[in-house]
Amino acid sequence: MAYEITLLTTMSISVLFALSLNFITGFCGQISLGHAAFMGVGAYTAAIMMKASVSLLVAIPVAAVFAGALGLLVGFASLRVRHDFLAITTMGVVFLFVGVVRQQEFLGGEVGISGIQRSELGRTGFLLLCISLAALFAGFSLLVKRSWLGFVFDSIADNEDVSRVIGIDVAKYKLFAFVVGTAAAGVAGALYAQHFRYVGPDSFGFVESISVLAMVVVGGIGSVWGVMFAAAVLSVLPLLIQFVDDYKILVYSALLFSMMRFAPDGLAGIVNRSMNRIKGRSS
Amino acid sequence: MLYLELLFQGIVQGSIYALIALGLTLVYGLLRILHVAHAALFTLGGYVGVIVTNATGSFTLAMVVAMITVGLIGVLTYKLAYEPLLDKPPFIALIASIALFIAAEEVFRIVFGPYGLSYAQPPLQGGFEIINGFFLKYAEALVICISVVMLLLLGWFSAYTRLGVSWRATVTDPDMARAFGVNIQNVRYLNFFVGSALAAVAGVLVALLNNLVEPTMGSVASYKALAIIVLGGLGSIRGTLIASMALGVIESFGTIYIGHLLDRDALAFGFLIIVLMVRPQGLLGSK
Amino acid sequence: MTPVLEVKDVTVRFGGVIAVDKASVSIEAGELIGFVGPNGAGKTTLMRVITGIVKPQQGSVTLEGKDLTGLSINQRVRAGLALAQQIVQPLRGMTVLNNVALACGTAKTANPFKAIKSFDKRAERATALALLTRVGLQDVADNEPSKLPLGYLKRLEVARALALKPRLLLLDEPLAGLNQSEASSLADLIKTLNHDGLSILLIEHNLREVMRVCPKVYVQDLGKSLAFGEAKKIMSRPDVIAAYLGKG
Repeated sequence: MAYEITLLTTMSISVLFALSLNFITGFCGQISLGHAAFMGVGAYTAAIMMKASVSLLVAIPVAAVFAGALGLLVGFASLRVRHDFLAITTMGVVFLFVGVVRQQEFLGGEVGISGIQRSELGRTGFLLLCISLAALFAGFSLLVKRSWLGFVFDSIADNEDVSRVIGIDVAKYKLFAFVVGTAAAGVAGALYAQHFRYVGPDSFGFVESISVLAMVVVGGIGSVWGVMFAAAVLSVLPLLIQFVDDYKILVYSALLFSMMRFAPDGLAGIVNRSMNRIKGRSS
Repeated sequence: MLYLELLFQGIVQGSIYALIALGLTLVYGLLRILHVAHAALFTLGGYVGVIVTNATGSFTLAMVVAMITVGLIGVLTYKLAYEPLLDKPPFIALIASIALFIAAEEVFRIVFGPYGLSYAQPPLQGGFEIINGFFLKYAEALVICISVVMLLLLGWFSAYTRLGVSWRATVTDPDMARAFGVNIQNVRYLNFFVGSALAAVAGVLVALLNNLVEPTMGSVASYKALAIIVLGGLGSIRGTLIASMALGVIESFGTIYIGHLLDRDALAFGFLIIVLMVRPQGLLGSK
Repeated sequence: MTPVLEVKDVTVRFGGVIAVDKASVSIEAGELIGFVGPNGAGKTTLMRVITGIVKPQQGSVTLEGKDLTGLSINQRVRAGLALAQQIVQPLRGMTVLNNVALACGTAKTANPFKAIKSFDKRAERATALALLTRVGLQDVADNEPSKLPLGYLKRLEVARALALKPRLLLLDEPLAGLNQSEASSLADLIKTLNHDGLSILLIEHNLREVMRVCPKVYVQDLGKSLAFGEAKKIMSRPDVIAAYLGKG
């Protein structure tokens, strides 16, 4: 049972993390190659607080605020640089984050912070918290997609200049997306810190940023259900394909490549196409 | 004296960066793809270089073989991985490229072993004195020389040969070039061949400098080269060269003077972010 | 009466080159003015000054007496200026109807906090369909813009601009790239819109159509205001003809 709980907790944290990136990249069209930095800010914030015996439930909102504040900063950067320039800037953010953390003694430097106490919720309670937070953000995402906010995001992701010509204050919307998405990543980070009871500079680097982007893209960029499914599967895939052992990463990367090569619109795209085919046949 | 030494180290590192980043910038200029897997070709170049040198004893032969094999594999990468993705949103090709890069690293590890390979009899050992007390290794001098020669060759090729001119025309304006009867497909092949061959040269040289080639040799190159081409202004060859040198030198001085605050990568990216905030189009990019 | 749009003594220099030199033009409510001039006259630059993309070194642009200096393009749009661009830019990911419906929802899209609380799109879709009918695109409302020919997309640009309920409609070379029959039917549409009370500034290269539909024209040459007034009179003036024929 303990194994299943760990697995499910890992999955729900990944789902929340992937949805948080989906908000920025999938909804608002702003690519980020450094999203793990925001999870890292949340995780470190929560880790320090929990080490000082602050409750997880207090640490979570604080982690969200800290991550969101950095997100606001990067959001401002996104107003200056676009497309591929933005992608590499966000990549720079994650290297800068890791580089700074490594050299800070109060953040544990290279070794990180370990021995974080278990929260008062207990394992099952904590799992339920993770699931509810992920579900909450998923619900919020679905709501946004149906609202005029989602409508405006579609236009910004499509073409910023056109959005301006129809009177949309693109800057405000981008900042909004960055703050919400990064704050949610901060929450995921706080949960991560509690789940593994350890945070270190290597847990929130470039590779992690790419993995979460892969979840979003494999799920189908912008599709809430697709991203949730992809995040749940991909987060535990390395555990599930233990049997290939030495070839684990090779299999993972080959799958990712084939997905991009043969179904670039992700799982959501595959599902949509087959649905249309079924509809087409029946009508 | 320390300054001079740091400067030279910076230039050596910058030359390597330039050889790697040039191929990347060529690909970007033509196809708008951030070709992360380019770094895997760099590593492959290192492996071919060491293996051929050890088998034949000729370093020069190894260099030529590495350039040709890796160049051809570069073309193959384009054909199999990128060509079908050209009309898709750019991040699709980016992720495909990252996946390809990770897969390649794994293949290197599985095929050549996790601990890497070394030269049986490392060529070009030792060094010479430039001014009293300051030595430059032969290998380092070779890195600088080869980079200069390669860049001059590239410059000559693109300015004075028919193929080179149509290549440049295509990078500047593909539609116009097509109108003038340039075969775009061939230009793309050429692009990948040349870019990958240059990466192979860098790989052979890095393997020589470290006397080691390991599966993860390309991981730094994979993201640092992206930073360089963005810094240079995406698609600008001159910008890429300037950015390579600037980054090489800044890293070499920075790690000594502010290394206690930021590590090498963070330093490079800190510099990148500052430049982009001031000039969002990169050093030599056009708006 | 305050003009709808007043451009006063606008000067733009790029480096040492003067692109627009003390240009002035004003449009009264309900007018349709053709803005013409030979290539290199600085038409595009002046247009960009009006939309706020280019900042003039001197001069001012006012919309119904409101100074637009320092406002970004989206703020100008909300102040009542709508633009149909020369290079058509539909939002390719959504249907023709949604392209227009989004523009109809300016009240709901003022900021993210308002937008997140609004869900109903029915009213905007109905208005959008009415506008599409007006420009003759009702039959392709549910199509994706990528599959439509240029003539349709030009009309979509116009419909999207109308959706913003503008005080002034700015049309940038709407006829460029269209064949003669497409061009004259779009010009007719522009004329009808004006008859219904909309003030329009039509920047256009196609003199024949401008002369046909615009009662008044404004001529710019080499960055300077050359002439402004009744179309037929202006276009018979020797200096205007000379500017077009490139004499001297």
